[in-house]
Amino acid sequence: MAYEETSSEHAEHGHAHPNYLGVFLALCVCTVLSLVFDILPWSRATVAVLVLSIAVAKAQFVMRYFMHLKFEGRWKYVLLLPTSILACGLPLALAPDIGLHYYTVDVPQVEHSGELAEPIEVPEGTDAGEGGAH
Amino acid sequence: MSHSHHTPTVKMGLPIPNSKLGMWLFLGTEIMFFTAFIGSYIVLYFGSPGWPTDTHVTHINVIAGGINTFVLICSSYAVVVAHEAMGQRNFKRAWAWLAGTFVLACVFLGIKGLEYKGKFDHDILPGHIAETDQQAIDKVVNEMNLALDDWLNELIPGEEPPHAKRIALIEEIESDETDESRKETLKDFRRLDRQFNQLRDEVVDNKLTLPQVTHRLEDLRHIAYIETISGKVMVGVFDDGTLGAHGHEEEDHGEAHSETHAPGAGDTDPDRPQLAEGQVAIRTDGEWTTLPADQVTTKYFLYQDVLSSVHHPQPILYGNIFASTYFLMTGFHAIHVLVGMILFGLVLMQGPRLNEQWTDWVENSGLYWHFVDLVWIFLFPLLYIIPGI
Repeated sequence: MAYEETSSEHAEHGHAHPNYLGVFLALCVCTVLSLVFDILPWSRATVAVLVLSIAVAKAQFVMRYFMHLKFEGRWKYVLLLPTSILACGLPLALAPDIGLHYYTVDVPQVEHSGELAEPIEVPEGTDAGEGGAH
Repeated sequence: MSHSHHTPTVKMGLPIPNSKLGMWLFLGTEIMFFTAFIGSYIVLYFGSPGWPTDTHVTHINVIAGGINTFVLICSSYAVVVAHEAMGQRNFKRAWAWLAGTFVLACVFLGIKGLEYKGKFDHDILPGHIAETDQQAIDKVVNEMNLALDDWLNELIPGEEPPHAKRIALIEEIESDETDESRKETLKDFRRLDRQFNQLRDEVVDNKLTLPQVTHRLEDLRHIAYIETISGKVMVGVFDDGTLGAHGHEEEDHGEAHSETHAPGAGDTDPDRPQLAEGQVAIRTDGEWTTLPADQVTTKYFLYQDVLSSVHHPQPILYGNIFASTYFLMTGFHAIHVLVGMILFGLVLMQGPRLNEQWTDWVENSGLYWHFVDLVWIFLFPLLYIIPGI
């Protein structure tokens, strides 16, 4: 039964003729929109959400029509869902410590961020630091 | 009892060619590969307050990224048309569209190469970026030291240690047998070497701030030899209106320092005259002389070439992790583009011999190419647009 189902889907794939030019134009419009959002004086969060939404829309166009996933059988879920879930593993593992910490990051470059290398007044006649760099 | 006549004929496996299944399995691993990079980048970006976002500092070029996005979209379209033509057994048309894809891939890598050149020119490289003022000062000293060593090795070739070469250089200056032009070059080296030693000693004594080091470096770059209409020869810090321009740039774009470095805080020479249009100035023996620009007949900067390898000091907080993630993601993406070019190149090499046996190859290479496009679709907003908002 399962075989017959996928077979018919595959047959459908064989007759799929998406409007590639239309998809291409949609992708171009999306790219232009991304650049336009970049120069609009909207808030950072708004623009970030918009450009990422456009990226997701573009990815949908490419995957569904150019990669023909819209016309493929259900095997695509079996193949791609586990990898997509596993792919989130590393970012999720890093997020609590690196991205969502409640504590102040204690790294040297932050400790000295924006700090001037203050000059030290060396009394006349001393040779402080002489030879240190040689 | 026999059930044989009720058993349907079952074919095992998926209703797609094995090669296509293999490509999809490979793309599954690629999803995990790139998601790890992109996801880690996002986590690091949000977990590092002060992440470099100013495009003048990171030298990220949004227009170049946008053009490359368009180029990859065009190439993806070319691939699907080529695949369709293969299905229609129109191999000549398929070859032409694949050739177009190959050319577009070259354009993508060319633009990427230009972007990388910008990063290399400004030393935006992992492990090379100063993240504090002190690191920026130390970097200037190290790079100047290397630049002087290179020049010394050029002037006095051989395996002797630097101090022995410096002694040989002084002896050559004092020798009567050395011709005048060589003597002048050696004296130029000695002048810069002395200035560098003074700078290094003051840095070691912790006497200088970053703006002071920046202005000192700018002064050294502007030491010029000039001759005037009246035949007067002068060597000193020459200001043709560009002196200090780099320092002001830093004040404009240096995110980490705009609040703490007051404009002009590092200006070590308050006597520097304000130049009217058409005027230049030169500082010799601590005194500034202003003169009309058209009075200068000969002018060349003595140390601009030698100091070209010394980068403008610009601390970038989290600059090294930014550079690491940028090169990791875009570098692996570029390698994938190269692999795609090899896959298409093999088809193009068939020329008029291209036939239906290559249909699966073109389809699978196309799937791979679309995935490369897909990765860039996410890299473009994450690397180019969002940080610069």
